[in-house]
Amino acid sequence: MSSSSQTALPVNRRLYRGVRGLVVVVLTGVIIAGFVGEIPQLDILEQSARNLYFHVPMWFSLMAATIVSAYHSAHYLRRGNRVRDLRAREAARIALIFGGLGIVTGMVWARFTWYEGTGVWWNFDPKQSMAAVLLLIYGGYFVLRDAIDAPEARGRIAAVYNLFAVVTMPFLLYILPRQMPSLHPGGEGSPAFSQTDLAPAMRWVFYPSVLAFLGLAWLLYTQRVRLSWLREGLAAPASSAPVDGEQDGEL
Amino acid sequence: MDWFAGAWAIFRKDLRIELRSRYAANTLLLFALGALLLIAFAIGPQPVSARVRAALLWIVLLFAASIGLGRSFVAEYEGRTALLLRLHTRASMVFAGKLLFNLGLVALLTLVATGVFMLLLGTSVGSPGLFAGTLALGALGLTSVTTLLSALVARASGGGPLLPVLLLPLLVPLLVSGVGATRKALLGQRWITAQDELLTLVGFAGATLSAAVLLFDYVWAE
Repeated sequence: MSSSSQTALPVNRRLYRGVRGLVVVVLTGVIIAGFVGEIPQLDILEQSARNLYFHVPMWFSLMAATIVSAYHSAHYLRRGNRVRDLRAREAARIALIFGGLGIVTGMVWARFTWYEGTGVWWNFDPKQSMAAVLLLIYGGYFVLRDAIDAPEARGRIAAVYNLFAVVTMPFLLYILPRQMPSLHPGGEGSPAFSQTDLAPAMRWVFYPSVLAFLGLAWLLYTQRVRLSWLREGLAAPASSAPVDGEQDGEL
Repeated sequence: MDWFAGAWAIFRKDLRIELRSRYAANTLLLFALGALLLIAFAIGPQPVSARVRAALLWIVLLFAASIGLGRSFVAEYEGRTALLLRLHTRASMVFAGKLLFNLGLVALLTLVATGVFMLLLGTSVGSPGLFAGTLALGALGLTSVTTLLSALVARASGGGPLLPVLLLPLLVPLLVSGVGATRKALLGQRWITAQDELLTLVGFAGATLSAAVLLFDYVWAE
């Protein structure tokens, strides 16, 4: 990340185009294989196992976006480089988007496996509830940003909130769901990704899907960062416009 | 200035200002009392389960703290005393003093709210030691999160209603473990049965306190 932040535009174009091509090809393949490919037939899961190719990679992208956002927030606190604040903000936005998608795909999956025959869409499974709380935290991050006018203070306060929230996230995502009875894999007594819930044949679609969704998150993220970087440059007076880009060392 | 002396001086300053107006303490206690009365009216005379009782008590504590503890940093900015404090003390002293003061307020709130709660709902506590331990650990975590976030919110122009919005999602782990342990205490179970919840509370208080100490410098600096 640090190498690309030193160019005038905060993304390497050649890298961007390469990843874009790969993501288009692989995601198309994943969608085709995911909807029409062969999957092993298991009780209860049956056809819904296809959701593995979409739901789980979305959570991986959320985790990646969370870590990237916290990383750039920490850098912003240390050096005060404007682009770090933009990166933290846009990564948080990507985390919100992928978290929302992960919750929706998870709800659909839970509706047709855990709650089949009951008509229930949401029954406060710990993993679901904690994921919803995670989205609330990122919602609060954006509300806090909007409440502060001065860009310097806004970046710093938002970065502190972001890092502080990251400290509480392990409790939400790992500690509490493991203490409560849950139907979700990875909960009490049901490990995720053991031999029983990921057939070897599915790995050939699942692993490319993870990489492709991470790539998609990266593409959206870099484009958002580019956009906000240009906006910042247009809004700022000409003297402080971010044309030189190399600000990491001087601040 | 000696670090402990500085932190103690800030605590004493806040305490003296508070004793003059009693604004924060009165707001906290009246809010808690009002909420508890509403709960008592809404529930009526029939008994409720231990889980519901524990949940109601913790929700009253969390909401009262999120509304009543936001003042101390806002007052520094409104009274233009923040700059003076910045000149004379280090950030960590300010944080320690404010944390101590907020801890006192939360302890007062917890004592009064719990007493009134037990009086109104006619609750008897099965294992008082576990009950007190849970509330103490919960109060510590609640104070550390609230103190840092109230410092953040004091820098925002919106002020007031922002604090609960930021605070409540972050306090979910505290609420879940606190309610679990309190329920077991009300039912009279032993310490060992609430081990998971108590360890989570200890971890939450420790993690948030350490993070708050590390991050406060960046909030306080201009």
